[in-house]
Amino acid sequence: MNEDVLPGVGRLKTGGWLHYLANPARFLRVATPALPWLAAVSLLLCVVGIVWGYAIAPADWEQGDAARIMYVHVPAAWVAMAGYAALAVVSLLSIVWRHPLADIAAEEIGPVGAGFTAVCLVSGSLWGKPMWGAYWVWDARLTSVLILFFLYLGHVALIRAFDNKAHGYRAAAILALAGAVNLPIIVFSVQWWNTLHQGNTISISGGSKIYITMLYPLLISTLGFYLAFITMVVARVSAAIYERKTASALLAVAER
Amino acid sequence: MRTPKKRRLYLVLACGLCFSAAVGLSLAAFSTSLTYFLSPRQVVAKAPAVGQSFRLGGVVEAGSVLTTLAGETPTTHFAVTDGRAAVNVTYTGVLPDLFREGQGVVAIGSMGPGGSFVADEVLAKHGAAYMPKDVEQSLKQAGKWDPKFGPPPDASSWNTMTVKAGS
Amino acid sequence: MIDPWPFINGAYGVSVLFLAVAGWLSFARLRRARRRLAQAEKL
Repeated sequence: MNEDVLPGVGRLKTGGWLHYLANPARFLRVATPALPWLAAVSLLLCVVGIVWGYAIAPADWEQGDAARIMYVHVPAAWVAMAGYAALAVVSLLSIVWRHPLADIAAEEIGPVGAGFTAVCLVSGSLWGKPMWGAYWVWDARLTSVLILFFLYLGHVALIRAFDNKAHGYRAAAILALAGAVNLPIIVFSVQWWNTLHQGNTISISGGSKIYITMLYPLLISTLGFYLAFITMVVARVSAAIYERKTASALLAVAER
Repeated sequence: MRTPKKRRLYLVLACGLCFSAAVGLSLAAFSTSLTYFLSPRQVVAKAPAVGQSFRLGGVVEAGSVLTTLAGETPTTHFAVTDGRAAVNVTYTGVLPDLFREGQGVVAIGSMGPGGSFVADEVLAKHGAAYMPKDVEQSLKQAGKWDPKFGPPPDASSWNTMTVKAGS
Repeated sequence: MIDPWPFINGAYGVSVLFLAVAGWLSFARLRRARRRLAQAEKL
């Protein structure tokens, strides 16, 4: 079997929608009509969540107004981690199945994820100063998120570092997969070790510790941040596909 | 059938497994240095040398706070406890806003000659529970929770409590 | 008592600025890529 033939073009029976979307043309057919809607809904949810958190949600009993930083810090942190998980998934698709779209996605997820991680770090630092009394401490949670940021930056640099694009994709995919061990470390750091950062307020296994009037804006702005991430990545992946098409069209013209 | 795809998948899985095991083992091995602070019990057990810098974390013992003003800067004596042991702390300077009895704190400094911890910096550690002030008050009045004695119960109990009271 | 509002404004400012700039850049790049492809296909 020739692996250099575009894989994922109707030939793979397993894997579902990830394989289905792995064809760039098919991705564009789905993404192009979806993009305006994605952009509109994410903009709406971000605006509602941010305004609600900034001005309408009640002040916290312990932290007062400073707890409002939660409504941008926590969604940014969740998106930063989910973005890295997505990076690991597309890297796996790239290494194992050699989907061409997976490489493009990896290249475009990196900078966006790094941006959300930076927002998480900066907003957290601005939260730490008035509450803890320090902008930064080297506890396990903060350090592991800083490592996540550097993993993103390393990936962004590595995937663009090679003259031969395929080498960059391979190396960056290995980095992304290896770095994925950091994700459970971030999540459980506050349970495994004594940290200055507080424990998880909302856990998947139930047992949240947040009042409903503060939970709603948090969920809305989380959904908004997630959709904003997806919108940016889909727009950038689409743009990258067009750029490649342009390059091959110009090459065809030059060879004519 | 061993296709190249399957071979690559198993290779990635094997590498991932080995790498995760290596990281997990190193984290377990370095677990003490990954801990941001020592609890009073650990401090009593380890008895760090006088002048050796470390971080002490725990809860400010109720009724232990005594602040004296020497000129402009206040000096505060308080005890940090984890429920089993307590360490006396002296700190000169302005404490963070969240500092109060029953509050989690991390003090950075070293043991002084008098057996009390001399802090250069005191950080406040806040809880992971978020609720408006009036909900906290009604929880206190209902005897369901007092911030002095640890974290609140699961939010489902207080969310439904007020929802039921309102409906 | 430290006034928390400069910190809150800073955190929200950074977040809104990032979302706006990153979103804008993504769509600007998409528009540019579409325009260039249309030009290239005309050749």
